[in-house]
Amino acid sequence: HYSTRWWMMERLLSALTEKRVLFPVSFVVRLALVVYGDYQDRNMVVKYTDIDYHVFTDAARFITEGQSPYNRSTYRYTPLLAWLLTPNIYLTVVFGKLLFIVCDVLSGLLIYKLLCLRGVGCQTARYVSSLWLLNPLPMGVSSRGNAESILSALVLGTLLCMEGKRLTWAAALYGLSVHMKIYPVTYALPIALSLRSSHTETNGTTQSWTWRTPVAFVGSFLNSKLILFASVAGGVFFTLTALFYYMYGWVFLHETYFYHLTRRDIRHNFSPYFYMLYLTADSRWSQALGLAAFLPQLILLLVSSWTFHPDLAFTCFLHTAVFVSFNKVCTSQYFMWYLSLLPLVIPHLTLSVKQGLGLLLLWFAGQAVWLAPAYFLEFECYNTFFLIWLAGLFFLVINSFILVQLIAHYRSRKSLERQKAE
Amino acid sequence: MYYLRFYLFFCSAPCVYLLKEGNGEQEPCFFLKGLQPSLYVELSHKGFHRDVVTTVELGSDTPADVRALLVYRWPRDVYVDPYQVASLSHQRGWQMLFNTAIDLEKPAHRTSEFSTYVYPSHVGPTPEPLKVTIPIHGRYHKPSFDGKTFTPVHIELPELLLWTKKCTPFQRLEPHTVLDAPCTASNTSICSWVKIQHPNKNSVPMSLHLPVGDGSTVRLICTGTLVVTLICCVVLCHSMLKHPLR
Repeated sequence: HYSTRWWMMERLLSALTEKRVLFPVSFVVRLALVVYGDYQDRNMVVKYTDIDYHVFTDAARFITEGQSPYNRSTYRYTPLLAWLLTPNIYLTVVFGKLLFIVCDVLSGLLIYKLLCLRGVGCQTARYVSSLWLLNPLPMGVSSRGNAESILSALVLGTLLCMEGKRLTWAAALYGLSVHMKIYPVTYALPIALSLRSSHTETNGTTQSWTWRTPVAFVGSFLNSKLILFASVAGGVFFTLTALFYYMYGWVFLHETYFYHLTRRDIRHNFSPYFYMLYLTADSRWSQALGLAAFLPQLILLLVSSWTFHPDLAFTCFLHTAVFVSFNKVCTSQYFMWYLSLLPLVIPHLTLSVKQGLGLLLLWFAGQAVWLAPAYFLEFECYNTFFLIWLAGLFFLVINSFILVQLIAHYRSRKSLERQKAE
Repeated sequence: MYYLRFYLFFCSAPCVYLLKEGNGEQEPCFFLKGLQPSLYVELSHKGFHRDVVTTVELGSDTPADVRALLVYRWPRDVYVDPYQVASLSHQRGWQMLFNTAIDLEKPAHRTSEFSTYVYPSHVGPTPEPLKVTIPIHGRYHKPSFDGKTFTPVHIELPELLLWTKKCTPFQRLEPHTVLDAPCTASNTSICSWVKIQHPNKNSVPMSLHLPVGDGSTVRLICTGTLVVTLICCVVLCHSMLKHPLR
């Protein structure tokens, strides 16, 4: 009786994750959420749609009137996004949300294809991509009108093209993704390391350190593949930048790039540096502390690129997770950036399901511990700044612990196959 | 004889007519002169996001074409979100005009005071008082170095301005004064408004308290933050180098 129930659950799970069923079902559920969101916006006080979606729509409206989208205050994205959303004004206001949920399902498809290409079995690939497609978190984020799914589709597309050795397409998608949000620029280092000539790697450990070694190291970067990638990606990025600079001027550069690079949001957020930056915002130590906060990020990005660059998907996941956790500003939207890459890492982990769920619960617990004092500060007017600071540090410790566990239990495909054979 | 009577009749008829018109003209102005409206303002909710609820009672003999304008002068410690107001105004029955662009993210000491002009859609004559609810948001303040954990924010009561077509041009309306202000929220023309002096206001001034960071703990916070982030960084580097790709 007990085993019949398990068998039926397995059959149900297997039927649900059939390719014919999984993708349509995930699209229909997201569509239903968009429809529900419209109903909630009309009839309830608490709105379903995110404020960002209204910012995008207002900016698109300015474009349809022939003006700059930056007339809309707090619009800090590329004009390309506002141009993409002009059908919000001409057709229907939910066009943007439909675009985002299509990109979300597309991300799930790219995850599936990438997993198959990396040698994970097709059934496992379907189960793992259903972790993204049937996950309420990305469903909620896209149906509320956040544009993160466009970027995750672009990043996954870049990784898929790199894995499939289609360098020109990978470079074009990479240039586009850096144009849309600045953080993928950190992937340049592992991509460059993985594209350089491979003959130095086999000799590197045994060769003694002569003056030729650094020269050979730099020389290994100058091969045709890397130069092709750099030129196509750079070409796409600089063409788009030049076009929008010509159209909208300095304000485009400032709002899309410089604001994010120098952003010091002193309002409460998940970052461990929030309270320190708030208290020192007007003191003369502000610049030095900002630099001190940047160093751990930089060191970790360099070390992770060097040690894991042969496995591009894992490196990009680590990069993004480290970047977000150690950043000076961190909001819950940023979590989507590395969550979209997590399904690529999962099949390579030697963690048990129990351990995996334990880490997931720990991650949620860390957020809950931060959200409680933040709620009391913002909505009940208690002075909980000190508690928020402690919760921010606690969340950083939890994130570091989870990353350490993932790194310690990660095995490449060859190693997993060897283990299976043994 | 007949002609005289006829003539007198014709003379008096227009005079009576003029007297009647004169009374009709003066009535709204009498209304304004003798007006003693009551204005109550209260704050609802707690925290950084509050509602300022203004209730105005003009009295039951308000003419039908009276227009009202509430002028709020806000301190720099709070702000009103123009985009939120634009999405709410058709539900709430009033339009708002700002006298300056609002930066939604700057802390209090980097911004300045601003004013808003609120135009309710329907004023009178209704027995119900006029109610305007404005959502405001607190700004972050400079951290305090004297141990105070909250900073007080005082909000002035709004000015009530009235306009009625039948009484223009406004003359001899003491103790009220005449002001120029935009006619409507679209700010296309300027009208003369009557500022109603000394309405019965609530005696308690409006104030709220916003939490501020404790500047005296800055050394502890900086040290603690840098130590913990450094430790996490070292642990992660160690783990990456200890478990290379296998």
